Amino acid sequence: MKYELVAGFETHVELATNTKIFCSCTTQFGGEPNTHCCPICIGLPGTLPKLNKRVVEYAIRAGLATNCHIAEISKMDRKNYCYPDLPKAYQISQYDKPLCEHGYIQLSNGRKIRILRIHIEEDAGKLVHRRGDTLVDYNRGGVPLIEIVTEPDFRSVDEAKEYVEKLQLIMRYIGVSDCKMQEGSMRCDVNISVRPEGSEKLGTRTEIKNMNSISFIAKAMEYEYNRQVDLIESGEKVIQETLRYDDVSNTTSSMRGKEDANDYRYFRDPDLVTINVPRERVEEIRAQLPELPEAKKNRYVEELGIPEKDAALLTKYIRIAGFFEETIKGTKNPKTAANFIIGQIFRSVETEAEKEAFDIKVSAEALNELIRLIDEGKIRMNLAKSTLDKMLETGKRASELIDEKDMGGLDESVLDDLCRQAVEGNPKAVADYLAGKEKAVKAMVGFVMKNSRGKADAALAEQKIIGIIKGQ
Amino acid sequence: MVTKEEIMKIAILSKLFVGEDEIDKLTEDMSGIISFADTINNAADAESDFDNINELSNVLREDEVVPSLDRDKILENAKDSDEGCFLVKNIMK
Repeated sequence: MKYELVAGFETHVELATNTKIFCSCTTQFGGEPNTHCCPICIGLPGTLPKLNKRVVEYAIRAGLATNCHIAEISKMDRKNYCYPDLPKAYQISQYDKPLCEHGYIQLSNGRKIRILRIHIEEDAGKLVHRRGDTLVDYNRGGVPLIEIVTEPDFRSVDEAKEYVEKLQLIMRYIGVSDCKMQEGSMRCDVNISVRPEGSEKLGTRTEIKNMNSISFIAKAMEYEYNRQVDLIESGEKVIQETLRYDDVSNTTSSMRGKEDANDYRYFRDPDLVTINVPRERVEEIRAQLPELPEAKKNRYVEELGIPEKDAALLTKYIRIAGFFEETIKGTKNPKTAANFIIGQIFRSVETEAEKEAFDIKVSAEALNELIRLIDEGKIRMNLAKSTLDKMLETGKRASELIDEKDMGGLDESVLDDLCRQAVEGNPKAVADYLAGKEKAVKAMVGFVMKNSRGKADAALAEQKIIGIIKGQ
Repeated sequence: MVTKEEIMKIAILSKLFVGEDEIDKLTEDMSGIISFADTINNAADAESDFDNINELSNVLREDEVVPSLDRDKILENAKDSDEGCFLVKNIMK
């Protein structure tokens, strides 16, 4: 029998605010243990939390960017559980009135992944388990999070991967989070079940907690899918439980230690007042949203004529998209800029992190200058390419690297001379060409390009060379 | 009505030990408390918003950092501490 995968995501995204959600301690990552703490975030009795305005704004931004409805009235609730990472023995979260509901993210196969809700909450502290005891650091306690919950709409691991990538990119574009999975500022829980293909009924699900890399998510989902299918095939039952994924052994195992009974006894936090979201404010935030990755990509394809694959590469990193847009200002052919970036510049930024940072020696303005020289017919593509390589290496501008005498086209008589020299100096290539090896002409064109310092028009040179050979 | 099973579940969640001889009495008391709450619910005016009794909204704070408390102060009342951290009994099995 064939089995279908059914999965849903809960994603925690750390918001890039300066301060924590309910107090004015810094949210900076790292720092000596317990040095970003105050009586509020370590939960001392008698302290009162006060909600950070920017947390509400960022959550609304995230909601709008994922097509959610923004609640008019929202509130905070206490989620009770007893574990040392929570000093108050409850987490302040949202239960029945989340800020955002009913959105979606569309995948490239056309399917919409429905977003059930996005709510705001506080992060927990960090535990370090030692032999016999546990160290608790509350620096992370109270750092603002949004939790983005989807419906069980995923039917494949590829869909899950695309969703996480898209979500990460959207959150980065709208500036609410850096979404660094390796630093924990974006973490995913996956609910996963299987059912016979064609069945409408959902199978028993398990939940894999706290995954912080897209490749782990994919591997964990594949492992868990196979494990559940094997259980069912061998007549056993899937038990509803919470699992931990171990990337070393590539297996999932049951997570114990946390409160077993899933009874959080939610109730309204009486210390925090109602959140009213005026419609005008929602519209203001909507109007301030930047162009989102999908829209940007489509614009590059439709308005600038960039091939879809290239447009996807250019929009995958905010800095690169910004660089590209600066570069093409006032130039005639955005495709040239795209090719320069994806072809030559990408060679100097190979890793994801390097592309993210996009720290290169050529400024967008300098590349713009180079492209203008091509547009104005002052230099040919070959010379532009070799100049860009030099620019990337030295950080110098095109105007410093190209001599005045290299500018402008090549005099036709000079080109004729060079082509004649190329034919006379390469009898073997000529013989090869006459014997049917059409590619042999390239060697002669190469000679012309080299001796004209890239100024010659390669296509014209090829024509002329063939003309000379045939005329002999 | 509250059942004995529910009493036992609440006891476990509250980390309380409840003896055999206490269950009946607790079940009865808990049922009394819940039916009293039902009485209040029935009496309540449906229009009243008990969720937001002070009728305040949007008490918000600007996102500006204020220096945190000195770590010695933070750890002052901790039962035990080590390496700048609160120290608790091992919770992993």
